[in-house]
This record gives sequence, structure tokens and C-alpha cells, in this order.
Amino acid sequence: MSAPVPAGTLRPTRTRTVDVESGGPTEITLQDRDRTRPFLLLHGGGGPATMAGFADLLAERTHSRVLLPTHPGFSGTPKPDTLTDVTALARAYVALLDQLDLQDVTLVGNSFGGWLAAEIALLRSPRVSGAVIIDGIGIQVEDHPPTDVTGLTPAQLQALSFHDPNKAPVPPNAGGNGSGPSPDVRALIGYTGPTMSDPTLAGRLGDLHLPVHVLWGESDRIVTPAYGRAYAGAIPMATFTLLPRTGHLPQVETPEELLGALLDLGRR
Amino acid sequence: MRTALTVTRIAHACQLIEIGNLRILTDPWFTQSATYYPGEPLHWTARALGPIDALVVSHEHYDHCDLDALVAAGFDLTTPLIGPGTVATIARGKGFRDIRAIEAWESTTVAGLTVTATPGAHGVHEVTFVIQAGDRTVFFGGDSLRVPEMDAIPQRFGPIDLAILPVNGLCIRPMNLAQVVMNAEDAAALTSVLRPTLAVPHHYAFHSGRLGDQMITKADQDPRHYADAVARIASDIDVRLVLPGVAVTVP
Repeated sequence: MSAPVPAGTLRPTRTRTVDVESGGPTEITLQDRDRTRPFLLLHGGGGPATMAGFADLLAERTHSRVLLPTHPGFSGTPKPDTLTDVTALARAYVALLDQLDLQDVTLVGNSFGGWLAAEIALLRSPRVSGAVIIDGIGIQVEDHPPTDVTGLTPAQLQALSFHDPNKAPVPPNAGGNGSGPSPDVRALIGYTGPTMSDPTLAGRLGDLHLPVHVLWGESDRIVTPAYGRAYAGAIPMATFTLLPRTGHLPQVETPEELLGALLDLGRR
Repeated sequence: MRTALTVTRIAHACQLIEIGNLRILTDPWFTQSATYYPGEPLHWTARALGPIDALVVSHEHYDHCDLDALVAAGFDLTTPLIGPGTVATIARGKGFRDIRAIEAWESTTVAGLTVTATPGAHGVHEVTFVIQAGDRTVFFGGDSLRVPEMDAIPQRFGPIDLAILPVNGLCIRPMNLAQVVMNAEDAAALTSVLRPTLAVPHHYAFHSGRLGDQMITKADQDPRHYADAVARIASDIDVRLVLPGVAVTVP
């Protein structure tokens, strides 16, 4: 539980005037109450393209506001020197939530985005009410090290990332060779360091007192389901869901199954 | 002429009960956190309460015992604070100076006001209260389960003017959905025993956030289920569904 704040202060009713053109200039005084429950989607090494389709699905089916930022440095975006690690990026996203004046935000992160979701949750912003970690990385688990993806060919990477590599998306400019989105390893290492993990993370997750839903593709060979169970086991208030016929990128390979699993939770 | 009796919900189970000139504040809650949302607008901040003659607290859960918010708002710490021993211990630590620890069937008086703890049951130790002043009697149900001992209240205290009851049937998911608060049917059955002039439900708008509602709590957010149940089993009892900030005067 994060520190309490006065009720109603995070998203107070705002009254403003809006100028519209409707047969002449018209000023309308508008009270705005917003109690939507937004999602903040956090992409992994493959960049925002690996989340965009699921962002559409989530917004349409849950009638929610779904925010999908591009982590600075990915997709050719600028990255300031101050963003030296995952925690620094997490702080930037908490500042984003403050600036957007959101509350009851659910974080949803895949792979590196899952690690980032954990770090944001650990910052205890009262605006964040829960986290969904999908095939996350970041912790170190004895006997279950993540597969080292550096130097792999796109085909090798897909074989490890997808239950059925034939389901991997074909980028428009790939000429049908099925190379799919590959991780921006340089941008990733800019945050994670070369080991792509933090030996302190698992221990720190023991202090996380937010509800966390950990979901894992059964066929993930980048970080295995055993690694996923250890991830959930490190968090006091976590539930683990295994997704069949799914690899490292459930939101790309089996988005309907992932959405169903998110919505089914607690339905009994 | 009868003593005036008015009740105004501030939010959740935080009620301002006014009997004549006495102002009694129940189960204070003025803040929110990542997994505790009142789910309805807060009518008054802790700072805007005005003078309070007695503070009545049923148990120590954060959404019923937000003493930090009162202290931060400069609340008068000499105000009598009435609650079970568990609450008294916490209140002492927060600097409250006139603490009246009472358990079930014990009473205390504050300037013409008599507060008697009545039995309760919840995830932690909880009491409910019968609050009396002038010729008025109020039952405050906190967020208790219905327990059989409550059925003795009318015999002990006579006619009840106002009953304030929780109705969301809150269940705790990690405790295998153990129920810790009376639900609409439980509350209606108790209402039919208490037979108040007016019954007001509370403690139903609360939620735990999107994932919290899926993983921590399960609750009924619709107070009409209580009104419908009372109409079915005790149709002569008046039920009012009230928004925070609406002052309800009991005839």
C-alpha cells in the first residue's frame, strides 16, 4: 500500500471553459470528472510495435484509456544521458503519470517492460494500483538463466520467442522473409546493462505490496515458465497464469488468450 | 418535541451524526491509497469538519480509523475517542488524550451522549455501537458481519430511530473468499429485527483498484440490493439510499 493522499485530490473535478465554433464562436463551461481506469503498456526490446496491436485490443474490449509510450532511445527516439538505468526510466514514467494526472493505473509490461513495470510499482506512486508482468526479465533465478539473445539471427530468435514461429509477424519491408521485429539490443542494454538483469531485483520485489498478475507463455524459451514462477514467487501479492501454445510475446502470438486471461482473473 | 436527529455521510462508513447540538463522527476516512478508494466523493475534508463532540471508531482498519488524516488536519486531540481496546491503543500512539475503550455491552458517556459498544465481527476485532442522546437511539453497524447477539439490541435499548448498516458483503479473495462484512440479505434480516424508523446503508462504494478488485476484494457495490431485500422482508421499514453530503433528517 502506498502512502495515502487526500481522497479526490489525484483526479479532482476540473472546471474550464472551452471555445468551440458552431455557427459562431461559443464558450462552453465544462465540468470534467474522469474516473477511467487507465492502462500503461510497457514494451520490451522489440519496441512499441510489439505492443501496438494489443493496445488496440485492450482499449476496444475494455473501453479503457490505453497509453503506450516508446521508451526513450527505442525506435530512433532521443534518450537523455540522465536515463542511465531501469529505475531512472521508471521515475520518468511516474513523472509522466503525475503530469497526465492519472489514478488507478494498471501497468502492463512484456519482457523488459515487465521489469520496468516492477520498478515503477516499487516506486509506490499512489497513482499505480497494480501491475501485469508478461514474460518479464530482470531477476536472477538459480538454474534458470535467461537465454542470451545477443548475436542471434532473427530466425534463431524467433524459434526461441514463439511457440509457433510461423505466427511471427512479417514486417512490411522484410519482403516476406519472416524476420519479424527484432530487439533493439543497443537501446535495451542502455537501460539494463549487458547482463540484462539486476541481482537485487528479486529481493526488492519482496517489499512490493500491490496486486501483480504474472502471465507466462508456456513455450517461452527466452525466460522459461520456471523462471516466471520464480518471478511470481518473489512478489507477495502475485498470481501466476500460464498461457498454453504461447511463447515470449503473448500479446503478439496469442493476444485474445492473453486478454481473456487478464479479464478472467477473479471471475468466480 | 423530539430531539433533532440528522445523519450526513462524509464517505464510506464515515458519518456525521447530529443529535440535538451534539456532533458525533464515526469511522473516519479522508484519504485514499493505491488499493483503497472510497469510490464516492468525499463530502468534507478532515479540515472542514467543524467541532466534534465525540469520535466513534469500530475497528482499526485504514478505511475506518484514518486518525493520521485527523491529526494532520489539526483535529482537537482532547475530543473523546470511543472504540474497542485495539483502537484505543492506536489512538494513544497518535496523541489522542481522552480515550474511552469499551467492548461489547459496555458504555461511556460524553456530555449527554451515551455510547454503548455492541457485538460485531470482522476480519479483525470490531464492535458496533448504539449511540443515544435525548430521546434518540442510533445503531451504527461499522462494517461488521451480522452476529446473532445483535438481535438483543431492541430489547436492551428500546425503539431505534436510525440504523446505519454495511451492505457490500465484502469477501477477501486471498482468504478463500471469506466474507467479512454483512451483505444486503444479512443487513436486511438484521433491519427486520432492529425495526428502525429509518435505515441507511453505507460501505458499498469502496473498491480496491482494477487489479485489487480482481485479486484482493470482492464486494457488492449496489445498495439497491439492500433496499430491495428490506422491501421484501420488512416492507414497512423506510430505507434511504443517500449520497455523501446529503443531510438526512430522521422523523
